[in-house]
Amino acid sequence: MARTRTTKQLAQRIDLNYFKRPTPLKRAKFWLSVLLPLLALVWIAERTIFKDSLVYSGGRLSEPHAVLEKECAACHQQQTGAFSAKATDSACLACHDGPIHHDTQTKSLACAACHMEHRGRVNLRAASNQDCTECHADLKVSSGAVHFASHVHSIDDGHPEFAALRDGARDPGTIKLNHAIHMKPIRRGPNGPIVNLVCGDCHRPAVVSATWAYADFRSVDRTPSYARKVLDASFADNSATLKPSRPMSGRELMAPVKFATACAGCHSLAFDRRFEEGVPHDTAEVIDVFLRQKFAAYVATHSNELREMQNPDRELTGKRLPPSSRVVTPGQWVAQQVAIAEELLWHKTCAQCHTLAMTALPDTSIARWEAASAQSSGRGPTGQVESVVAESGPRPKIAPAKITTRWMPHAKFDHSAHTGFTCVSCHEKALTSTEASDILLPGIATCQKCHAPGAEHAEARCFECHTYHDWSKRKEVTPTFTLPALRSGEIGVGIRSNNGR
Amino acid sequence: MRMDRTQRGWALASVAILAGSAVIYVLYAFGFPQGARGRSAIGLTFGVVGFAFMIFAALLGARKRVPTWRVGRAQAWMRGHLWLGFLALPIILFHGGFHFGGALTRVLMWLLIITVLSGVFGAALQHCIPRLMTAEVPLETIYDEIGHVRSLLREEADRAVESVCGPIGLRKTSDTEVRRAGGFTALRAIAASAVPLRTSAAVSAGASAAVAAAPEIILLSEEESAPLRRFYLQEMRPFLDHPERRGQRLGDGQKAASAFAGLQTLLSAAARATLEDLADICDEARQLQRQARLHHWLHGWLLVHIPLSLALILLGAVHAVMALRY
Repeated sequence: MARTRTTKQLAQRIDLNYFKRPTPLKRAKFWLSVLLPLLALVWIAERTIFKDSLVYSGGRLSEPHAVLEKECAACHQQQTGAFSAKATDSACLACHDGPIHHDTQTKSLACAACHMEHRGRVNLRAASNQDCTECHADLKVSSGAVHFASHVHSIDDGHPEFAALRDGARDPGTIKLNHAIHMKPIRRGPNGPIVNLVCGDCHRPAVVSATWAYADFRSVDRTPSYARKVLDASFADNSATLKPSRPMSGRELMAPVKFATACAGCHSLAFDRRFEEGVPHDTAEVIDVFLRQKFAAYVATHSNELREMQNPDRELTGKRLPPSSRVVTPGQWVAQQVAIAEELLWHKTCAQCHTLAMTALPDTSIARWEAASAQSSGRGPTGQVESVVAESGPRPKIAPAKITTRWMPHAKFDHSAHTGFTCVSCHEKALTSTEASDILLPGIATCQKCHAPGAEHAEARCFECHTYHDWSKRKEVTPTFTLPALRSGEIGVGIRSNNGR
Repeated sequence: MRMDRTQRGWALASVAILAGSAVIYVLYAFGFPQGARGRSAIGLTFGVVGFAFMIFAALLGARKRVPTWRVGRAQAWMRGHLWLGFLALPIILFHGGFHFGGALTRVLMWLLIITVLSGVFGAALQHCIPRLMTAEVPLETIYDEIGHVRSLLREEADRAVESVCGPIGLRKTSDTEVRRAGGFTALRAIAASAVPLRTSAAVSAGASAAVAAAPEIILLSEEESAPLRRFYLQEMRPFLDHPERRGQRLGDGQKAASAFAGLQTLLSAAARATLEDLADICDEARQLQRQARLHHWLHGWLLVHIPLSLALILLGAVHAVMALRY
């Protein structure tokens, strides 16, 4: 007979108290349920005993603050008797100042509103667009009129065209330059070879020390008398711009183009066939003195030049002609040659690029004879060169170059960050510009080609170009930390005691 | 708990909560200057709600320990545990803005992820394995009693073998164990030297009287019973002792049937009934082994889920307090 089993029989083999007996699974579950929370508790207790609050950190600190990673109290200052130890602005300001944005701003933000810590090794200065658009999306000022675009949301939403390009603005510079001609193959000097200029032959940041292809090395090392004044004017920034917090590297902006390094290789300042050397690229006064010295030195060794022959063409005038030849004094000769040279310079050579203002230029056709006759009565005997050198005729006023070095006073731009791109890929107007007054600054649309929201684009947040804090209002901070305090974890104590004072 | 249509209400409510939370999160994360932050008002709300879900889920354990605690039906608690516990993960991710933060919060986040994933894994097992168990283990018993029932089966097999082979020199089990032997050859006579066997009636009555020896039972000679004796001692007894060992012929149903069929050709017809009993015992032992294996799958994940969830609740509370401080 086969095994017979009923449900009752099956049930009867069960011990009714079976649940009181622990099985391995139950035991494991129980002990793990005790041990694991206990382990967690021990971990927290151990961290508390060793005063390591880092365990409660919301994340790693940014790189500049990494040294304070374990020094929670440096920022989280607990007031006496209080449980809360939140980070406050005073903790930030204990180490670095944070000047206000504008005097007329209507909102004042806490430091952590824009610079949020405990987000890992992020750029703490990289504030979000929302931080800026909180005000700039609907800009209001506490007093006066709003001078800026008042509904900016992002670079591609509401950002205005650059001020320098708005309303048909023109370049205030006075140097006459045809970019289009210079961007094409061009002859180097009257008898020189054809050359192809590149932008970098003329435009470079101040700190770039590479050799200039078209420099005149005789004049590169010479400091013109106008240099200080011009440079001061170029870099003077009197606009209401927000100053950067750190000094610039010198590679951000292009330096003003200098004649000696960029132009002199082709544009010689020749003034007379007798001399290979040209006049210095300097003020009219300096040039005048230079010419007088040059001709005086010359005539001292070339006395035969004092005997002059009249130009035969003069006979055609029908007037009574002066003697066909004459002998002039060295002073007369120098004055005469200077007048001729200056006539060439003021009327042609200098005027090719500069705007010159002059009330009465000498008559080019009779300059030499008039100069000679005028000087003959008042000048000393032959050989009195020094007195001649001191003389000076009418000189033109050369208009200041007014080269704009910073086109966007409310934004920062770094050329060195864009060196991978050809100049004309952004400054494309340089290829066709014929007028010096053309502004060749690329517009916001050019920037937006790369700088746009989205992972596949370059950084497009406001901070990339704009500065919030006006660092010209910076206040110096009294140092708080000491290295021993940092090592011993007493930084927070130091800050509290300083705040207490 | 099976994931059937009865879960629809909870499922819909959970999806609605998740969708609503996701919408709020997206608006909040992209609307705030620095993105989602745990300490912002909305971030804190997500944190509080997520932690409340976790607490509720953890209270299921308390509810199970105190069955008399009349706060809602156990089934409702279980469903709440499943769905709210699952929702805790996305809500807490919204709370942290998908950042894992520092040491404590990172530990918390991983604890939560492992706890929820183990819970989901467990729920899937709870959905599938009971049906598998019903189909494959008709002789299912209480898991905790498997070891005990197995020893009774062994005892029963010993007696069945001895009934035809005579004493085989095995250790006798205690009377207490015999008392709960379950199914056995109740009315079959045993050899004169057999150990005391008891009928099911005797078991029910709790009596200890042995069944009288049946005169019609034929005790095989030593030579006749040798194959059975050898088979039992070398193969079946070790299988009943350790059914979990791999490579045993009796551990496989088909191989076992073939083994018993082969054995039957070597034995006289008088041993046929005994052989059938032994095959039946082997089958039950296999079922118990299968049940034990399924049970380990069905409940093994709790070894991860419960301890981690307790640690999670504990550290979560620490985090909540310290977040208020910092």
